Amino acid sequence: MDKLKLEILTPNGQIFNGEAISVTLPGEEGEFGVLANHASLSTLLEAGVIDIEKEDKSVESILINWGVVNVDEEKVIVLVEGAVAIRGESESAISKALEDAQELLNSIADSNPAIASVSAKIESAAKKLI
Amino acid sequence: MANLKDIQRQIKSVTSTQKTTRAMKLVSTAKLRRAEELAKRSRLYAEKMNQVIAEIAGRIKCNKVGGIDNRCFSTIENPKMVDIIFVTADKGLCGGFNIQTIKAVNKLIASYKEQDVKVRLRGVGKKGIEYFKYNEIELFDEVTNLSSKPDKVRSDEFIKASLEDYKNGKIDAVHVVYNGYKNMITQELHVNKVLPVDTEQFECKDVQSSVIEVEAQDEEHMLDSLVNKYVEYNMYYSLIDSVAAEHSARMQAMDAATNNAKDMVKSLNVKFNKARQAAITTELIEIISGVESMK
Repeated sequence: MDKLKLEILTPNGQIFNGEAISVTLPGEEGEFGVLANHASLSTLLEAGVIDIEKEDKSVESILINWGVVNVDEEKVIVLVEGAVAIRGESESAISKALEDAQELLNSIADSNPAIASVSAKIESAAKKLI
Repeated sequence: MANLKDIQRQIKSVTSTQKTTRAMKLVSTAKLRRAEELAKRSRLYAEKMNQVIAEIAGRIKCNKVGGIDNRCFSTIENPKMVDIIFVTADKGLCGGFNIQTIKAVNKLIASYKEQDVKVRLRGVGKKGIEYFKYNEIELFDEVTNLSSKPDKVRSDEFIKASLEDYKNGKIDAVHVVYNGYKNMITQELHVNKVLPVDTEQFECKDVQSSVIEVEAQDEEHMLDSLVNKYVEYNMYYSLIDSVAAEHSARMQAMDAATNNAKDMVKSLNVKFNKARQAAITTELIEIISGVESMK
């Protein structure tokens, strides 16, 4: 299966750089998935969760508050303003990530009505990890 | 001949100055490390952001997708009024750091004056503001305590005024002038034209293979928010970069000052010893001639 190159950048650094099988992005017009060799596309992202299906089939979730994605045939570049990766080695690390995620969510709560679904999503993502 | 006590006092004062400058250098080194780290992490984002913007701008220029008429991407002929935003430090004692920025601003103002363009000066940082006030050059807007502690919210607020005015057609260009960080010992002056987005650097042939897939209506909305973020981030990045540069400049200046002080102490010590010896010799001569006369 083809893989796509994915880069996720925040003002505070890179949070993901590597290959993935597919990535699901919270576009402004709705969620959409990108596979390798996708036609080029640029669009805005709203608050939501990016799901990355990695080479070993595991899924990594990253919560974002705003972003822009630039897809071309070779790679996918996602620029986000604030992001929290929901991952961790231990249960405590995961719950810490969850707390951070909740904090980020609260900071954007007023501007987004779909917050409840996003918050449910990150919790389910965290549960899968535990 | 210089008085021994005077020289001693001088040595003492220079030594204490040296202590201060050394301490300041150490403080700057520590601060620089943090600022540098921040700047490095942000640089990647800023670069990609510029890349994305450039690519989109290039597409607009080359393909004229959907007849987009966004002021931020069009070149404006015969500008009437422009904004120049400069970023300087709040504190001095950092060598030519501030004056370099000020000189660049002056040059830019002069070149606009030649074309009969009005300039609105917006300043960040005490030192630059003081300079222009002293020289009675009018400042449209001024902010302090932002360049030493970059804060995204305040920086967004600051740049927003220029952005809105640009969109409303009040001003025709926005420049940001700041002294950026290059490495530990060099700073690099940046004169960035933030608005309108520079499309000239982008070559058309690069994009012909890819087609844009967004509807025109969407695109305008997208461009709008993208440009907002682009401008905001550019401003913020200028601040971060400027802080890192400020600390590196101060570190250097203080290092040079410490070395100078060291040299000065050295030459003062020589002078002191000479004077001391001269004093001893005179005393000896006095004693000897006293003894001689008693014979």
